[in-house]
Amino acid sequence: MAIITISRGSYSKGKEVAEKVAARLGYECISREVLLDASDRFNIPEVRLIRAIHDAPSILDRFSHGKQAFMAYIRYALACRAQKDNLVYHGLAGHVLLLGIPHVLKVRVIANLEDRVKSEMSREKISEEEARSLILRDDQERRKWTRSLYGLDPWDSALYDLVLHIHKLTVDDAVAFICEAAKLKQFESTPETRRKMDDLVTACEVKALLADEYMDVRVACEFGNVLIYTKSGGRLQHKLQESARKLGREIKGIHHVEVHPGVPTPAQAV
Amino acid sequence: MSIIIISSDSYEKGEEIAHNAARALDYACLDRELLAVVAARYGIPQDRLEWALESSPSSWGRSARLQDRCLAYMQSTTLGELLKDNTVCHGLAAHLYVVGISHALRVRILAEPVELAREISGEGEVPPERAPRFIDRQRKLRQHWSLTHYQLDETDPSQYDLVISLSQIHTDEAIKIIAQTAGYRRFAPMTYSLRCIKDAELASRVRAGLLEAYPKVKVRAEGGTVIVETQGSRRNKLKKAAAIKEEVQAMEGVDYVEVHIKNGLFKRAP
Repeated sequence: MAIITISRGSYSKGKEVAEKVAARLGYECISREVLLDASDRFNIPEVRLIRAIHDAPSILDRFSHGKQAFMAYIRYALACRAQKDNLVYHGLAGHVLLLGIPHVLKVRVIANLEDRVKSEMSREKISEEEARSLILRDDQERRKWTRSLYGLDPWDSALYDLVLHIHKLTVDDAVAFICEAAKLKQFESTPETRRKMDDLVTACEVKALLADEYMDVRVACEFGNVLIYTKSGGRLQHKLQESARKLGREIKGIHHVEVHPGVPTPAQAV
Repeated sequence: MSIIIISSDSYEKGEEIAHNAARALDYACLDRELLAVVAARYGIPQDRLEWALESSPSSWGRSARLQDRCLAYMQSTTLGELLKDNTVCHGLAAHLYVVGISHALRVRILAEPVELAREISGEGEVPPERAPRFIDRQRKLRQHWSLTHYQLDETDPSQYDLVISLSQIHTDEAIKIIAQTAGYRRFAPMTYSLRCIKDAELASRVRAGLLEAYPKVKVRAEGGTVIVETQGSRRNKLKKAAAIKEEVQAMEGVDYVEVHIKNGLFKRAP
């Protein structure tokens, strides 16, 4: 009864590990499904969401906050899936998007650059030099993406519970480790952790519904009480208060909504 | 039947896990008690050796040279002990020089952030919101230290087979994972891997013997053949090569010596 997020680079065998773990534990294994959910729910073409999660934000994006809105949709879709428990997610940034939920086992699967280059060469039928450059560029892009959106480095081991290096360790060893770790008591869902997950879903839903119009809002939720943080009051504050009250009435499970302008945002806010 | 090398951002946690893993597997445990042996063998005060392991080198390079010598003495003695096999090694920076040895399992342990901040600061309680600042500073210092002396980043997860974070996984569970992994067949010593560690030990012993007189010496070993590379002027090239050859030839385990003297940039003779 756990949620497992598997972070991986390209050609690191993370997908294979994720599928095997899900098969062994009888869990659902998802990656792109989250994009389809977000695309359906918010009526955004999937291709735009794919672009949002692949490329690091450009200078223009930093002003328009377009990517942040798309990420809010994706985060909400992932939180909804994770709410059902028994899940293996091997898509982008699972460890960041579900941060703060105690029963999430966060795993990173890495592989040697040389092994990855060989895999890319044989799959794409390209030279070693091209393959190496493509992989390094892809790694760089992913690091830049997580840094610019969340201020975190995906290569930082401290973000994960386990980092498994597929080289001396095989895919089957990694699967065995993850399955055993998932059975540990601390990764079992409890009423308390399920409540935290429900709060995360509520916060993500509020954020997703506000993100398009209000760029700098961050949302926290505790026991169904929603706190919306915004950098400063400004002329939009009155409008935001109105929207927040409306959402409080529309979204199931919200007891109370408050808007806090100019207050430092807590770390757990989405 | 293998070597387990444990590296940790927290000395206390690394030590606890190394000792308990050694007990669980009935292996010997190698830790900083070995520094007394190194100190006696090379006539260097023990606190100097500890300083070389802990302190970041100064930007002017003077302390880096002395640290290099201390670390070379330590490396030589540690590798000598690791030839005995069935050993857990911790706190001697072995993860940075036991490289390419297939029967060495290299594990990185990451301590719980608040506990780690308390250990680093030495202040007792550290507020959780201040912990990341302490940890980040420490990580940068260690990165600088390992890159200066070994040209490897010790915080890079790809240097290890396994990285375990103790934020959610308990110490006894981490020990179980390590013991289980060490039992895998691919961590059993083979003729080739034993030869590799023997070569590494011989090279480091020769380097430790030459370092005081020739600070820029580099040594490789293959079988009983030792290849020494250092810098010198054209004028005393032959004399220097002969002196090194004579010194190395007298060392245990050396069958043949090859010496290459490269011209030093500022020592070129007319």
